Amino acid sequence: MTAAKQWSGEAIEAVLAAQGIRLAPGRAEKIANALNAATVSAPLSLEFESDPTGYALALERCKAK
Amino acid sequence: MSDPAALSLAAAVQALRARHVRSRELVDACLARIARWQPRINAFISLEQQPADEGVPLAHKDMFYRKGRVSNCGSKIRRGWIAQETSTALSRLDAAGMPQIGTLNMAEFAYGPTGHNEHWGDCRNPWNPDYIAGGSSSGSGAAVAARLVFGALGSDTGGSVRIPAAACGVTGLKTTWGRVSRHGAMPLSHSLDSIGPLARSAQDCALILAAIAGFDSQDPLSSREPAGDYVLAKRKFRVALSSDWIERHAEPEVAAVVLAAARDLDATLIEVEPPQFDTLSAHCITVMQAEASAQHARWMRERPGDYSSAVRSRLESGFAVPAAAYLEALRLRAAWLERFCSTTLANADLYLLPAMNVRVPTLEQTGPRGGAGMPALLAEVTRLTRWVNYLGVPALVVPCGFDSLGLPIGLQLVGRPFAEAELLAAGHAFQCETDWHCRAPAERWI
Repeated sequence: MTAAKQWSGEAIEAVLAAQGIRLAPGRAEKIANALNAATVSAPLSLEFESDPTGYALALERCKAK
Repeated sequence: MSDPAALSLAAAVQALRARHVRSRELVDACLARIARWQPRINAFISLEQQPADEGVPLAHKDMFYRKGRVSNCGSKIRRGWIAQETSTALSRLDAAGMPQIGTLNMAEFAYGPTGHNEHWGDCRNPWNPDYIAGGSSSGSGAAVAARLVFGALGSDTGGSVRIPAAACGVTGLKTTWGRVSRHGAMPLSHSLDSIGPLARSAQDCALILAAIAGFDSQDPLSSREPAGDYVLAKRKFRVALSSDWIERHAEPEVAAVVLAAARDLDATLIEVEPPQFDTLSAHCITVMQAEASAQHARWMRERPGDYSSAVRSRLESGFAVPAAAYLEALRLRAAWLERFCSTTLANADLYLLPAMNVRVPTLEQTGPRGGAGMPALLAEVTRLTRWVNYLGVPALVVPCGFDSLGLPIGLQLVGRPFAEAELLAAGHAFQCETDWHCRAPAERWI
């Protein structure tokens, strides 16, 4: 079992630079720390066929009767 | 009539129809109050030079476009930008006899929950100007609370109608995603953005919503679900809540006031397990950051120095959101919505919780000099609102008391998709039994 890779400030700088975004000084480390701290617990399991457009149908199914 | 500006929107409409007051008197009363309050709270950005004198005057967050008029969007980048078209929401309010007398302060590009704005000046809370008005619809909350207008539009992507409503002690409605057309309104995050009213009561919100709700061919994401007239039918609601969670996680004064208010609702209360607020909020943040940063990509490349440091930081973060994480959050959305409706609301019509976990903070606590505790405090301010945007369901905030410093506390009711009528009816029933919504900040501050 391998540990999840952690973001570094250098990696964030590279990712944003590839998108043409210049970071304000000191920001890369902060973004990396925030990304590393972000954990989403207990995600729901999804059917393989689920796609984002299913949300519009869910709104209809779930509305007050 | 002593001060026509003290009337509710519903009472003003009625008084106009009965010819007990003229529209010009309503406008003049608002302008007189604006002149007294504006130096203290900085709620307005602009005033119409020749306001229409037919109908009941409203003002709106400075991000609803009107052809030929400036929409600054709370920013330096769009300072002086003139709109080429009029938003559907404004057109519909014009047609319903609710003309606009001005534009209202807001967080820069609607991307902040406090009302700080380094380009246009901070908007301040009319109950105490050292405290935040809440954001991003800060001017909408402050102007309605100080009785400067009879109602206002705001937008809500992560709490931007409900936080200022709670902080300023007014009623605010976050509508179901797609309930109100977003044509001609500044976008922030298209999967989450919603438009809704802030007003002095649920009844007033119902009047505004009835005017703006409904399908619009110019916004293909607007819903074809029929919009009602939002008649405030009296009925006994089943309201779910998680008292234990509120007592353990909200500040004691907030918990005590909100739970006391729950008992004042003429409702059957049902204890349930709380939704997974933090997980749902994390999904909301993923979607919001990715979409907002994509929206702002060109300006972030060409003129990043023209953003405030706070907004620039938020936008920078969005460029680091992995595409797969963004799409997974969107794929999960339907499943989370169905879980909320089939578990939390399995035996209830509405879910009750505080609008904010904490008392209204000061501008200093939440601003650039907020110190090490500032990020955690901001997270608490939005902790109970963002999850609602992720699900896309409607929510109503009503004032339900005050803390020991005299700042308002808001109660939040959350419904199923398109349950605006139920939310407004429950809010109206609460406001028939209480008078929190009738209280206005004293002019001793000005």
